[in-house]
Order: sequence, then C-alpha cells, then structure tokens
Amino acid sequence: MIGPVESPRGFGLQDHMCWVHGDGRDYRPRLTEFFSEGLARGLQVAYLGAGRVEELREHLDRFIDVGPLLTGADVRIISFDEIYRAGEPVVPAEVMEKYAAVTQEALASGYQGLRISADVTDLVRAPEHQDAFARFEFLLERYSSRNPLSALCEYRLELGAAVTQFACMHAAVPAGLTPFQVFACDDGAVGLLGDFDVACQAAFKRALQSIQPAPDESTLIFDMSAVRFMDHRALLALDSYAQQCQVPVLVRSMPPVVRRVARVLGLEHLGSVRTGGSG
Amino acid sequence: MRTGAARGQQGHFHEAGFYRSDAEFRDLIVPFAEEGIAAGEPVIIGYDDRKNALVSSWLTDPSAVTFLADTSLYATPSRAIATYRRLLEFHAARGAGQIRITGELPHPGNGGSFEGWDRYEAAVNTVWDDFPVWGLCLYDTVTAPAAVLAVAARTHPSIVSPSGIHRANDRFQDGREFEALPFAPDPLEQTRPMIEQVDRSAAEARQALAQIGRGRVADAALEDLAIGVTVAVSNALVHGRGPVTVRFWATPDRIVITVHDQGPGPADPLAGLVPTPANSAQPGLGLWLIHQLDIDVAHKQADDGFTVRLRGGTTIG
Repeated sequence: MIGPVESPRGFGLQDHMCWVHGDGRDYRPRLTEFFSEGLARGLQVAYLGAGRVEELREHLDRFIDVGPLLTGADVRIISFDEIYRAGEPVVPAEVMEKYAAVTQEALASGYQGLRISADVTDLVRAPEHQDAFARFEFLLERYSSRNPLSALCEYRLELGAAVTQFACMHAAVPAGLTPFQVFACDDGAVGLLGDFDVACQAAFKRALQSIQPAPDESTLIFDMSAVRFMDHRALLALDSYAQQCQVPVLVRSMPPVVRRVARVLGLEHLGSVRTGGSG
Repeated sequence: MRTGAARGQQGHFHEAGFYRSDAEFRDLIVPFAEEGIAAGEPVIIGYDDRKNALVSSWLTDPSAVTFLADTSLYATPSRAIATYRRLLEFHAARGAGQIRITGELPHPGNGGSFEGWDRYEAAVNTVWDDFPVWGLCLYDTVTAPAAVLAVAARTHPSIVSPSGIHRANDRFQDGREFEALPFAPDPLEQTRPMIEQVDRSAAEARQALAQIGRGRVADAALEDLAIGVTVAVSNALVHGRGPVTVRFWATPDRIVITVHDQGPGPADPLAGLVPTPANSAQPGLGLWLIHQLDIDVAHKQADDGFTVRLRGGTTIG
C-alpha cells in the first residue's frame, strides 16, 4: 500500500507502514489487527521491544489477543538487543541484514513471509541517533518492497515534529501525518509522493540525506508520478542532492507543473528520463 | 572600449529620449545606430513593425543591426530582462566592447499596458551592470500618458535630446528609493471573493485553486497560477506578518488571486525582476520565478501590508 491510509487493515506481504500513538492503548488494537491478519495470511509475526524475551512475551500476551496461536512459533519475540546496539546509533546496513536474515528464516520454516512490529521511539529519542535511523527506515522500505517482509513501525507522539523524518520514509502512513513521502518502487526507483513545498522544506532536505543508492546501483532514479506539487525550493534541494550523489540521479514522470518550475530554473536535466507515466 | 556618450561608463548606460514626431525619432535613433555600426558594436533595435521599417529605411546598412520584431519580448518585464540578458551574454561572450539596445516599452499610447514596466525601467539600471550596454529608451510624448513620461523621467540617469545633447538627469531616482506606481485594482477585486482563506497553507491554496479553476482557464495557466500562489503564500508565511489572507475570484475565463499579509513586503523595491542564480535558494528567487510565468503578476506595498496579485486567463486592461 502506498500513500496516506485511514486504517492499518488490509496490508499485504510487502508493506511498510508507520503509525503514531499517544500511549500504548492506541497501539494495541492496531497491533492486534496487524498481527491477526498476518497470521491469517500464513506469515510469521515478530514483536520487538526492549528487555528480555520472556518479559516481552508476557507483555505481548497481556497487550494483544491474537488467539491461541500466540504462544506458538508463529509469534516470534525479538529483543532489541538482538538487532540494535544499545546506546549507539544504528548501523543501517547491519540492522537491515539482521531483519533480512529473520525474514529468510521465516521463509525457510514454511511461512509466507515475516511481519514485524515495534515501538521504536526509544531508539530515536537521541537527536544524534535520528539520521542513522531514518537511513535504516529507507533501507527497510526498499527491502520490504521486494521481499515478503511487512512492518508496522510505531512512534510515540512525544517525539513531536521529529516523527516526520521517519514517517516520510514509509510507503504507508496515516493521513495527515506528513505532507510528503518517500517510498520504494517495485523496480528500484525511489518514489516521491505528495506535496513538496514550504511546509516540509527542511524535512525534505533531511529526507534526501537518508536516501543512498545501494552498492550495486549505477543510477538512482526518482519517480515523481505520485507528486502532486513540488516547489522551486524542493527542486533545488533535489538538484543539489543529485550533484552530491555518488551515482547519476535522474527523475522520471515529472508532472507538468513541476516540469514548468524546472524549466524556468534551468533544471530540465533532472527530468530527462522518459520512462513510464507522463515522462 | 566604449564609444559615444557611454565612453568611460561602467555597466549599463541607461538613457531616455523623448520625441514628438517621426523626424525627432529619427534624430534620436539614427546617430545611436550609425555610431554603433561604425564602431563595430552590436546594435539591437526593438520597436513595432512600422518603426522598425522606418529605422531600416533610414540606416545606411540596416543589415548591420539586429531588429527584434518579436512582440512577446515585452510580454512581461522580468522576461524582457531575462531575454535581453541572454542577448547580452551572447554578445559579451563574442567580445563586444559595447552593446547598444534601443526599444519602446508597452504603454496605453501604443496599445499596451505600462503596468509593471515602471519597475522594469528602475531595475535595468542595475541588473545589466555586468555588461557594457547602452540602453536607449525612446518615448513618444504625443501618445505616452503623462504618468509614463514621469516614470521615464525618474528612471533614466541620462537623457538625450533630438538635437543630440546628452545630459545627466537630475530627476533620476536611485533604485533603492524607487517608488513603483500603484497597480489599478482588477474590477473583480471589488466583488466578493469566491473563496477566502486566512492563515492556511500553500497546499490548501492550491486545493482551492484546483476547486474553482478547472474549465475556466487552460491547464498551463492553472499550473502557473498554482506555482504563483505557492510562492506568494510561502513568502507571506515565511517573510510576512500574519494574518495571511488569500482571496480567489473567477469568471468563466479568468482567475484572479490576491495574497495579502500585514508585513512591509520585500525591502528591495525591484524584487522579482532581478534574476537570482538558480543554484541558490536565496530569498527573492520565488518572486523572480513567478514573474517568468505566463500569468500577470503585480505587487503592491501599502500601509495595510503587502499584496501579490496573480491573474490568469483572458487578459484585461
């Protein structure tokens, strides 16, 4: 699912969703639904959190009710300690490898895929940890677009405006949380969605810094077919990102209104890829 | 090496001349062009077809000058600045010691509108200073309204008479102190707006535009208006003083939008006309950008604040 969503229902095998909650009671029904649907689809589900596995399982048991399966192997409990280094910013590629390995284990055990959820607020509370985590969210977004890993990443409202930095890196977000999103297209392009203007100028610049080409990518393509509007500041930010990126950056499916701005600014070169959409 | 009255000048030597007849027009333009041709300087002449033909018949070698017959050159002030700038860059790159340009701006006396061109006349005193350009603006005192002539008199540091005398203009007003003419209100502005938004986002302004705009004006004009209202609202929110009020009016073939805030507006009275490097996100780029579009853009600085007016669709006035 791509774009703003109204409910956490109906997600598939390869979805990456962000949600925000005030306290645990808001998260509970969503997690119950997300996991129940996953189990019904033959997925292994995994709940992650800080602390010992036994405590987490006990907590989850009280927290949600997904039926008798809860105690079985279908529901995996993973402590943050297994994935993240305590007190340090995440190493995005390393953490991504671990999630990929758990996904592969689920497949090897006969499941259709893996479905994970965690409240990651504590991992991003320190401002100096946030950029690395946003880069990891982008890797997770890309991985989940091509592999049977679906994730519900929960953030708490107490993070304030910082939530946008992470929310915008998910293909699916609750409506109204962020004016724009960065998502992974099936073919490896980086999709941009929504409105890019003064309301998210700083957030978009920050988001761009979280986007890095994969080691095997020779070109980074941005797909603008879901862009409603992009103002000159955002285009200049994208151009400046393109100039600094280690591989050539190209934009495809630039909407006419954005192409108009690009032409006046002399940035036509950005929109030179003419595959798909209105080119 | 610059020749003629501009000898020893730096940057743009901006001069006005006033004529009452074709004979006086000839006395002003012929020496300007012939002297340039003799010195091997590029001479660019941009008048209407009739005057271009007259000038061509007066010159000893009309093929030595460039006639700009494209009336779209003067579609909007900032586009004229940008177009001329490209011409100047072209000639400067070829080593021109001086580039001579002469033309006549649109005003009611020649069938055009002078709105915005007062700021153009003030802006060109600085925006071409990178080039050795001599710009000669000729005004027909028989047809040009008094207000237009008054603007000409305070925007040109030098004046030439049909008798060939060049003199410094003591009524010249420096660009930083330039006071633009108030723009005439659009008749629609006197009516109740279709939509009024107070302190809303640029995205909400675009939504309102999409809601009222479709089917009234061409898609390209709607896109330009969306870009325009985005810049105006963003600037008002970032640089202005609230409340920011956006009003939309529409007729079957026209859309008028005003964006008002209670701040003083840009400190630079020539904001929007001056090209800002596209590779920088410095303030002023947005206003410049929207002046490049195919919509009518006007600013008003008044006691109650700063207003940007955008008009798309069938032109009036």
